[in-house]
Amino acid sequence: MDFEFSVIVESLPMLFEGAKLTWVITLAGIGGGMVIGILAGLGRIAGTPYLGDEPHGIFIPVSVLTRYLSAGFVEGIRGTPIIVQAMFLYFAFPMLVRALFTIDQFRMEALTAAVITIMINAGAYIAEIVRGSVISVHKGLIEAGLSLGISRFQLIAHVIGPIAIRRMIPPLGNQFIISLKDTSLFIVIGVGELTRQGQEIMASNFRALEIWLTVAIIYLLMTSVLAMTLRHFERKMKIF
Amino acid sequence: MSNIIEMKNICKSFGRTEVLHNIDFAVAEGEVVVIIGPSGSGKSTLIRCINCLEMISSGELIVDTIRIPAEQSRIRQIRLEVGMVFQQFNLFPHMSALENVAFGPRKARGMKVSEAEPVALDLLDKVGLADFKDKLPGQLSGGQQQRVAIARALAVNPRVMLFDEPTSALDPEMIGEVLDVMKNIAKDSGMTMVVVTHEMGFASQVGDRLIFMDDGRIIEEGKPGEVMKNPTSDRLKDFLSHVKHH
Repeated sequence: MDFEFSVIVESLPMLFEGAKLTWVITLAGIGGGMVIGILAGLGRIAGTPYLGDEPHGIFIPVSVLTRYLSAGFVEGIRGTPIIVQAMFLYFAFPMLVRALFTIDQFRMEALTAAVITIMINAGAYIAEIVRGSVISVHKGLIEAGLSLGISRFQLIAHVIGPIAIRRMIPPLGNQFIISLKDTSLFIVIGVGELTRQGQEIMASNFRALEIWLTVAIIYLLMTSVLAMTLRHFERKMKIF
Repeated sequence: MSNIIEMKNICKSFGRTEVLHNIDFAVAEGEVVVIIGPSGSGKSTLIRCINCLEMISSGELIVDTIRIPAEQSRIRQIRLEVGMVFQQFNLFPHMSALENVAFGPRKARGMKVSEAEPVALDLLDKVGLADFKDKLPGQLSGGQQQRVAIARALAVNPRVMLFDEPTSALDPEMIGEVLDVMKNIAKDSGMTMVVVTHEMGFASQVGDRLIFMDDGRIIEEGKPGEVMKNPTSDRLKDFLSHVKHH
């Protein structure tokens, strides 16, 4: 077995193209995933004492509905493989839209499907991270806030939020890294991300050792950047 | 003197367990009421109903002319007029002492930082902690934390202060400093206070009225000195023989 360093050098431009796409999917995906995760995570504990006073009147059924919808979303996404979600979104969803709404031209770009898949998948897991961090905030602090006469929004923004965010960072780092690596699964819907590029180079020159080693190292570098960014945020926060 | 807090026939249940049975209770403006009783007697629950941290199950409760149950905005109104100090201090751990005290004026009263901070600093000075304004709660002793917590509750400028066993979580040598601050508030500002405590010395020195609760009921009430000297019920006699005098 011979190891050709030149193979790696030749493959780098194509692999970097793939890596760029991996970044795009990851960053857009976890950005959207954070928004979905915060909404669904708070939604699962809407109307409970973890977020202040218990609701009155119309807000009682609204909060119950919010909890059920959020829980249904989280369990549905966590309970199915991400690769099935990607295939469904890319192949089945456009068929459904065409049939139901008779939009003949409706298609889904592979890249769009990839980004949305990461968004909803990461969103479901981030929802649980958000919920876990928020319910870990000591009940006495919530009561102290309420007893000062502040609103629920102020309570979440200034008391629960800052304390919960600090506890979210380590598990969020975990999830961001998982989401980045999950983008390699989009090889099945033909997105030209890093793994797909590696596969294509490999199919033309059969240099498995050099190519997959290089691909692995590029992934490791990217996940390290994510991990270091989060560590940086963690250090910058006040310690209490 | 008019009553600032009025409770008539209050019951409170947690699930199927009724913890307050038909309580009649009123506090006049400027009065210092001390509530004593064994643990589990419902004294904390009683004062937590006053600022709506617990909702009464039945009966009539009027705080500062607002009848409870009320809508959310009215409940916030009550809380602006009723400050609370907790057994576990509950200072916001991510804010300095000054930020903790300025928080209420800023967020609940809508003051600017430049207006709220002098108010907060003045209160920290009153509780003897102006030099500690930039410390985080984790850097303060228990007694210091509780004094900051008292300043935080006062900063919103309430008409009533509730104290829920404010010295029970403190080391013995720190109890005095917190009680001194509370005595000063009662004497200097004529603040209406409802204090749940086991400190009998505080009760007799500062209290206008002493209430003894057991098993969710008010068993005895009256002038602190008289009630302590001549308890009529066996339960209060038994209770008094178990608490230490400071």
